[in-house]
Amino acid sequence: MAYSEKVIDHYNNPRNVGQLDKASTEVGTGLVGAPECGDVMRLQIKVNPDTQVIEEAKFKTFGCGSAIASSSLATEWVKGKTVEEALQIKNTDIVKELSLPPVKIHCSVLAEDAIRAAIGDWKKKNGVAEPAAVAAH
Amino acid sequence: MTHTLVQSANIKCWSCGSQNELHAQLCTSCGKLLPPVAADYFALFGLPRRLTLDVPTLEKQFYRLSRRLHPDLYAQASEQERQWSLEKSSLLNDAWRTLRDPIARTEYLLELEGIALEEQSRNATDAARAAGTDKQQIVPPDMLEEVFELNMQLEEARMAAQSNSSDPELTENLRAAEKNYSAQMVALHTQLEQLWAAWDRAQASGDATEQSVVKQGMVALLNRRSYIRNLVRDVRQALDGAACNSNGTTGKG
Repeated sequence: MAYSEKVIDHYNNPRNVGQLDKASTEVGTGLVGAPECGDVMRLQIKVNPDTQVIEEAKFKTFGCGSAIASSSLATEWVKGKTVEEALQIKNTDIVKELSLPPVKIHCSVLAEDAIRAAIGDWKKKNGVAEPAAVAAH
Repeated sequence: MTHTLVQSANIKCWSCGSQNELHAQLCTSCGKLLPPVAADYFALFGLPRRLTLDVPTLEKQFYRLSRRLHPDLYAQASEQERQWSLEKSSLLNDAWRTLRDPIARTEYLLELEGIALEEQSRNATDAARAAGTDKQQIVPPDMLEEVFELNMQLEEARMAAQSNSSDPELTENLRAAEKNYSAQMVALHTQLEQLWAAWDRAQASGDATEQSVVKQGMVALLNRRSYIRNLVRDVRQALDGAACNSNGTTGKG
């Protein structure tokens, strides 16, 4: 399958690969998976406790080019946003930006799930109330 | 790919006007090729939607039907008949490829039964966004941790292979993982076989509640299976020292 230029760029030069200190209260970690293809994605954010701005974001993804590109893009997008702003990112925005074909939409869903999971973890650590998780099935 | 199946209809031969069963390929009276009808793969072979299938029997049937529908037979026929022969042959090939493999067969049945895994996942993400929360993962978190950890080790092994160094402890770990996950694949297959039999019973008796329970069970097993299948594949590759990937990501998909 032909990947778009943006996907290839993120795949060849992934931004923000790495990890943050999972134990830190300022860090939220999201580990998510797409059973359709067996991909796993870890996305971490470091949040400024005063401003709630995401100052740092790192990811590590084991999966196809689109999954790597989606998570790489997700880290770029969340950086500099407040937690609430980051929650507004939709998987369809990622699809559009990367020109993902229909068979790769689940990669963008995974990236959005990872952002939400990381923020959810950070909220839990910092005692920010949030509604109960919505079941996938 | 999904077609609605009308079970009780007949089809009238365009050439001689006699009535044929809906899924007849050739007219029983005059032997002319009948037009394609919307049918699922099971119906194409005249089978109920069951998961325990005798593949050798299916194969014989596939070849028998192939011979009847083959485009070569219709080289001299009308444009319309040539087109039908092509369409039917291509559908028959898709049906055979899907039904001969028990996993593809199961995925196809779940799709026919209205379980679209990707769509469900996407909807759950939409719901989580609307509710301002994170989505509950389909696969248990500890399994994700396990998969992630093992992938980290695989990456290490690939990097070691690239620099021609070896880490005996890591190799030992990977050997153990290969054994562990191969055994899990076998166990999963046994569990799936039990669910196939359970599905067939529930399908035969028309027990909708039981069908629904079995379907969810199959979905859960197939999801687990995707991860374990990939792990077994990647661990074997790493042990063979075959896979080298410079940016530390496993290429797939």
